[in-house]
Amino acid sequence: MKTLYKSILAFAAWVMLSVSAFAVDVIVVSHGQANDPFWSVAKNGVDKGCADMKISCKYVAPGTFDMVEMAKLIDNAVSQKPKGIVITLPDAAALGKSVKAAIAAGIPVISMNSGSDDFASLGISAHVGQTEFEAGVGGGQKMKAAGGKKALCVNHEVGNVALDRRCAGFKKGFGGSVDILGTSNDPTEIQKAVAAKLGGGYDTILTLGAGLAGEAALKALESAGKVGSVKLGTFDMSPGMLKAAAAGKVEFLIDQQQYLQGYLPIAIFGQYMRYGTMPAGVVMTGPGFVTPANAAKVIKWAAQGYR
Amino acid sequence: MSDKAKSIASKKSSGQDERLQKVSKLRLLLNRPELGALGGAILVFIFFGIVAGDTGMFSAYGMLNFLDVSANLGIIAIAAAMLMIGGEFDLSIGSMIGFAGICIAIPAIYWGWPLWTSIIFAFAMAVLVGYFNGILVVRTGLPSFIVTLAMLFILRGATLALTRLITGRTQVPGLRVLIENDPIAWIFATDTFTWLFNWLGSMNLIALRTDGTPLATGIPPSVIWFIAATLFATWILMKTRYGNWIFASGGDKNGATNVGVPVGRVKISLFIGTAIASTIFATIQVLDAGSADTMRGNLKELEAIAAAVVGGCLLTGGYGSAIGAAFGALIFGTVSMGIFYTDVDTDWFKVFLGAMMLIAVVFNNYVRKRVTESK
Amino acid sequence: MSENLIEFNNISKFFGKVIALKDVTMKLKKGEIMCLLGDNGAGKSTLIKTLAGVHRPDEGEIVIEGEKTVFDSPKDALDLGIGTVYQDLALVPLMSVTRNFFMGREPLKGLPLLKTFDIEKANKIAAERMSQIGIDIRDPSQAVGTMSGGERQCLAISRAIYFGAKVLVLDEPTSALGVHQASMVLKYIVKAASEGLAVILITHNVHHAYPVGNSFTVLNRGRSLGTFNKKDISREELLGMMAGGEELDKLEVELKEMGRLNS
Repeated sequence: MKTLYKSILAFAAWVMLSVSAFAVDVIVVSHGQANDPFWSVAKNGVDKGCADMKISCKYVAPGTFDMVEMAKLIDNAVSQKPKGIVITLPDAAALGKSVKAAIAAGIPVISMNSGSDDFASLGISAHVGQTEFEAGVGGGQKMKAAGGKKALCVNHEVGNVALDRRCAGFKKGFGGSVDILGTSNDPTEIQKAVAAKLGGGYDTILTLGAGLAGEAALKALESAGKVGSVKLGTFDMSPGMLKAAAAGKVEFLIDQQQYLQGYLPIAIFGQYMRYGTMPAGVVMTGPGFVTPANAAKVIKWAAQGYR
Repeated sequence: MSDKAKSIASKKSSGQDERLQKVSKLRLLLNRPELGALGGAILVFIFFGIVAGDTGMFSAYGMLNFLDVSANLGIIAIAAAMLMIGGEFDLSIGSMIGFAGICIAIPAIYWGWPLWTSIIFAFAMAVLVGYFNGILVVRTGLPSFIVTLAMLFILRGATLALTRLITGRTQVPGLRVLIENDPIAWIFATDTFTWLFNWLGSMNLIALRTDGTPLATGIPPSVIWFIAATLFATWILMKTRYGNWIFASGGDKNGATNVGVPVGRVKISLFIGTAIASTIFATIQVLDAGSADTMRGNLKELEAIAAAVVGGCLLTGGYGSAIGAAFGALIFGTVSMGIFYTDVDTDWFKVFLGAMMLIAVVFNNYVRKRVTESK
Repeated sequence: MSENLIEFNNISKFFGKVIALKDVTMKLKKGEIMCLLGDNGAGKSTLIKTLAGVHRPDEGEIVIEGEKTVFDSPKDALDLGIGTVYQDLALVPLMSVTRNFFMGREPLKGLPLLKTFDIEKANKIAAERMSQIGIDIRDPSQAVGTMSGGERQCLAISRAIYFGAKVLVLDEPTSALGVHQASMVLKYIVKAASEGLAVILITHNVHHAYPVGNSFTVLNRGRSLGTFNKKDISREELLGMMAGGEELDKLEVELKEMGRLNS
């Protein structure tokens, strides 16, 4: 028993000596976990921004998509009295109280990635991201220019307001008929659901996520031998879809350029801390289109964690 | 009188009894199941005091942050502890949280019910679910682990399916506006002691907002519920006949039945207890977030059980303490928020949770052996 | 015969085709210690459970103080004064002596609706009863697990007596105990009988049973081989009846043969 106690105490002492805590300039509270392939790119942007601005930052996220926990993390950040807080805003109703408390405490807040509709009403200084509706419009226009007439918009996360907007914007930009297909976020189920719809005469498919939905839809098209006859476009990027684009199988990927979503808020705060400057409104990071023309370069940068 | 009895009587008269009593009081203290959890809590606070002392963790606003998390966990941990002492587990706690949240939100937003009616509806459903869990376990004699694991899936699935069916989405927002003027909601949604915080703010003892009001506005409702639950559960376990029945049912189910303890009724009531605690948790959360979500409460039952075990409850039943579970919840809540003040990767929190459980079980095992072997 | 405290007349119990008990008769007076002997499988535990109200006899009758009785449940038997102490003692080692003593029958105090467990009173009574039987526990709120096997057995018996047992049914009280502990328990049993209780002592250990018993009933494969007063039978005779004496003799002869071959 004594040796067990001694080893526990020794371990605790070691932990205490190696753990440190110090005041940070900017805290980023995001709903995206750092080990997620999409969000690791954004976090790279945050890290680069901190290095370039020569300030200290911290990136925190809840373990799962849990708005209650995220609100707690914002409160936690406020208690540390940073010079600025960057958040994502996937649910303004749930996070609003904590965001308002942060601003009332005199800490400026910038939002990124999600919440382009709600950030202003909460008192957030600026929003950095891609507004979903406009990005959808851009995608729709591109598909229309490519000759599409009947489209299927695959929504793999029904209830996510941002995704609903993407389909709505696409409909506006496309002009032709657009049907919405709601699925779960299980890739096999998505593939089956899309395959089932292929008999419906669609010549265009838009997915709202690349790794999950895009690749599943691509698989469905390949199995049915419809690659090329049915144009596939997707929001966001994944290694599989990038390769497919380089091979000409995908019309475009809409890159919201989350690296900028991580980098720009830090850059903004860096200048704010020095000279008090702050942009007003939305700083658009997308839609950036990755097409067969530039896919190869993007693949290289994606491997390095910048796209 | 036997010789031994005579010697005891003579010892008493010679005053030696006082010394014996002193020794046993200290022993009693060391043998209490809460000891490990209390020690753990003190260590955790010392640790963060040293490592994160000036980061704002112990500012008023920072403390409310981890106390709120601890208190919410504590409510379900205490109920889980009482059930564990009674010899059973409830793995459906997390799913009940999600289900209860939807029971409040859907009637209030989609069927036009007043909020207070929806809240009562959710508690009524809790009683039904708890009763169902209990009856299944008692009548079939199946291990509660299996029965409540099945309910974990059934409840979560029902929550997802019904919510999508009725609303077409997995979230139900829009509840915040309904809280004002509601006769019941305020019990779960009001900060208390705001006068104290206003006064502390006016004395500049705590941080202020830019408009001069204090940043920390009051004690969150979860903390009040948590303290009430701890006191209530401790009173039941220590001071009532029903509490003795709980220990007996968990310690020796057959023996207890043989001496007339209504073991079946006791266990069913304990399952109703965990369901109600889950609903209290859900109500506080739904009113705080202003919305219900089908995935709320996911895996919370494991945290509740972990807190109860750290608090001294034996997995085999018949031994444990509600205060211990409260300290266990305090440990987990403090660490889960405290870790964000440090530069430690937050994934290590899971490692910490498991390690704490192991250490606690080893320690509690040691204490239990001492309790039953010392003479 | 109303001088008998309890009579068990021609009791039979069947489980499907299995005859667990057939025509078993026992009669006990106040203060009498009857030892129920029999090897494993003789039907002892079925007999205890029928006495305790867990099983209903299929044939025969139970007569208590001259009145024919039927037990509907174990609680019934308890209420009528049959105090059964099972082998597992119904004691929780992690709970205190007091809580165990009053398990299921806790004394209450206070206002209706808010009645609490009167622990102070319970502690006092438990400590008294323990010292009465000569068990030195420093503190009635210490765990039962700190007591030795013999002390626990005495605690269980004391509990049965306190809650009004007129007939004590003890299932193998000394089987798991060493000599010293066993003698402590046996002494207590004799004391209880001298205070007017009737005791049915179920055991397979004749050496424990013979010194304390007044009468002996031997069970073999569900049937009674008879009830004998101590003055009418010797220890060896009892042993022989229990084990099936002829078989043991044959075994002795065979073993002697093997010994000669192996040496």
